[in-house]
Amino acid sequence: MPDFNVRSDSVNVEQIMDQIRARIREKRGVDYTEEEVRELAAVKLEKFLDPRGVRSDLLDQFRKRDPGDSAEPLPNYEFNDQTLYETHRGPIRWIRRLLNPLLKLFFNPNPLIQALHIQSRLNTMTVERDAARRGLVQLQYEVLHNLVLETTRLGIEVKNLKMRVESLTGRLEFNERRARALESVVVYKSPDERERVAAPRPTLPEPAAPKPEIAGQPASTQPRESTEGPGQRSRRRRRRRGRRSGGLASTIMGGAQSAAPSSDTDAMGEAVNQDSTTDAIEQEMSGDSSSGPEDDGPDSGAE
Amino acid sequence: MKLAVVVQRYGPAINGGAELHARYVAEHLARHADVEVLTTCATDYVSWRNELPAGTDTLNGVPVRRFRVRHERDTIDFGRRSDHVFKHPHSVADELAWLDAEGPTSPSLVRFIERHAADYDYYFFFSYRYYHAYHGARAAAARAVLVPTAERDAAIGLSIFPPIFRGVRAIMYNSPEERAMIEAVAGNQQVPSVVVGIGSEVPSNAQPGRFCQKFNIRGPFAVYVGRIDENKGCRELFEAFLDYVGAGSTRLSLVLIGNSMLPIPDHPRVRHLGFLEDSDKFDAIAASELLVMPSYFESLSMAALEAWALGRPVLANAKCDVLKGQSIRSNAGLYYETRAEFVETLKALETNRWLSGALGRNGRQFFRDHYDWPVIERKYLDMIARLGKEPASPAIEPLPGWLTRRRRDRPPAREVLEALATGPAPHTDTSRAPQPAPTRPSPPASPRRSGSDRGHGDRRRRGWQARPPSRPQRSGGA
Repeated sequence: MPDFNVRSDSVNVEQIMDQIRARIREKRGVDYTEEEVRELAAVKLEKFLDPRGVRSDLLDQFRKRDPGDSAEPLPNYEFNDQTLYETHRGPIRWIRRLLNPLLKLFFNPNPLIQALHIQSRLNTMTVERDAARRGLVQLQYEVLHNLVLETTRLGIEVKNLKMRVESLTGRLEFNERRARALESVVVYKSPDERERVAAPRPTLPEPAAPKPEIAGQPASTQPRESTEGPGQRSRRRRRRRGRRSGGLASTIMGGAQSAAPSSDTDAMGEAVNQDSTTDAIEQEMSGDSSSGPEDDGPDSGAE
Repeated sequence: MKLAVVVQRYGPAINGGAELHARYVAEHLARHADVEVLTTCATDYVSWRNELPAGTDTLNGVPVRRFRVRHERDTIDFGRRSDHVFKHPHSVADELAWLDAEGPTSPSLVRFIERHAADYDYYFFFSYRYYHAYHGARAAAARAVLVPTAERDAAIGLSIFPPIFRGVRAIMYNSPEERAMIEAVAGNQQVPSVVVGIGSEVPSNAQPGRFCQKFNIRGPFAVYVGRIDENKGCRELFEAFLDYVGAGSTRLSLVLIGNSMLPIPDHPRVRHLGFLEDSDKFDAIAASELLVMPSYFESLSMAALEAWALGRPVLANAKCDVLKGQSIRSNAGLYYETRAEFVETLKALETNRWLSGALGRNGRQFFRDHYDWPVIERKYLDMIARLGKEPASPAIEPLPGWLTRRRRDRPPAREVLEALATGPAPHTDTSRAPQPAPTRPSPPASPRRSGSDRGHGDRRRRGWQARPPSRPQRSGGA
């Protein structure tokens, strides 16, 4: 990714900040502030979450279902055996108490007093329970609220991580292609080129006469195994893999016979001729990089 | 010419922003005029306790006259009153009581100004929000020049201040953002004003090597200068910096200079050096890669100006309009709003030498153009000369009557603040000719007006966007 394109002497801070922000967006996807996450959690949940799982108006619905939250507690009353005869005027209270036996001749107020007393106690208990329940509901609301927020945050994070994984996968594929291209170019050569390489080497001694073949064993097997190192073996393995997957060097080199087997010793001898194939490599590389997800080229900034 | 500088505290050991500002201005104006400082006996800005003797004194060649504070600040009472006027509908009487509770309540200072108003050509009142500036400006309105040093806090939304902003002879602003905010609140475009700021005594021969040797600092570092406090954004700075260190290969350390009110993270890349002398501070800035300024509220950051004077770039908190505006206008600093932005901007400044150097050069030029002492002195003298030629403005609007003053019809100050536009003011026009006065008497304090009709001309030009008020605005003037 290119660095900041600030080459001239006149720096524009706003422009640099725009570039930095674009770079952050490219790297990490969209960044959300705390307020934005809250807004998203409240309004646009369906964009990030499975709408079947969490309703976007969940918190509002939850609030609506709790009517007692805003309701004022109802006033209660005290009721005991003297309440019926209570008054702030002393003489009247005395007269009532005096006439109480007479009243009881007409009806018995005791069950009424008892019932109202019980009702008063029940009212008090209900109010207390209601208060406790409201506290619990408040707690549940908080838990739910935090849950929704965190779920939204996680949803966003998962999305960002997915983007990063995709980006990394793209880079990995690109690197693999690059490695294959390089190896196949280095190893394979057409016979014409091999001859051309061999011709200007008159001082080299003539190759020794082939040894008599041992039955059932190729003549070149023994010496080759003795000279090649572990790196060469792995290179050959990768080459075979590349051939299977269709990344043929012949396509790159344009040679008709390049698919013919060649020994590793040849390849090492031909390594000096890499200059002639540089263009082909670059072509391949540019083709790959253009299809790759990101350009990992050097920064163009003035560092 | 005789000038008075009126400030809440004054002394060599007082390093508060506005107080230091006042001292520098007094000492520099003393080269051009007879300057006397009128102040209180207090040195502590929390309690306003009388600690210095009342009477006259001389400091660096400037005569200082001190007056006693009538009562210390009751922090609980002040907190309660602040909560009331900032968050609830209230009356003018509540606001005046808040001002009295805030202090430094020195009626003797105000009486002196009232009696000797004619003895001075101009009074320079520092810090609009304190008792001495409010009552002092009312006592000598025809000669009052206000240096508001206003930050974006709720006090600006109180309705007692707009009449002061509209009624003084002139206003010396610290930044275009401050001017835009006050004009939006008070509609005082007709008052002569200029964006001045303040200079700094930056040495020309700062020695970075000496600092590194003295404090055994190795490798590149970012420096923070100031009180290490949560209100200054330092907690956020620590977290973001540790993120940056943990994220990748960096050699950058963070060096903190100043008294700490916060626990400093125990990390090898974070060094706290405590309060340093000016020479060490300047050496530290010169030795640093950049200065970090994470504060949310600044009317003018002297540390940022000093960094620019020494050719160092600044990384500022974009949530502070002033810092962001200064960075944009100077092209000498980057700014961040989120942690990711902090990491990326810091990385850019650390790794991109060319960028860092270009920003530093711009900063040095910006300081020379706008904040060098000759420039500052010239702006003050020009303003004084201009006021001498212009007739005095009408007096400050009187306070409402006894009954009106007790009517609870003022909106919460925080609500007024939230309705104000935000963002930097990118234009660099520092002085402004007085605008024609409004055809009808300017409305008393505008907090009740909707955000869209306050300071409209300027804001449109700057592309500001009014923030919707948090609650529906009520009608009626404050």
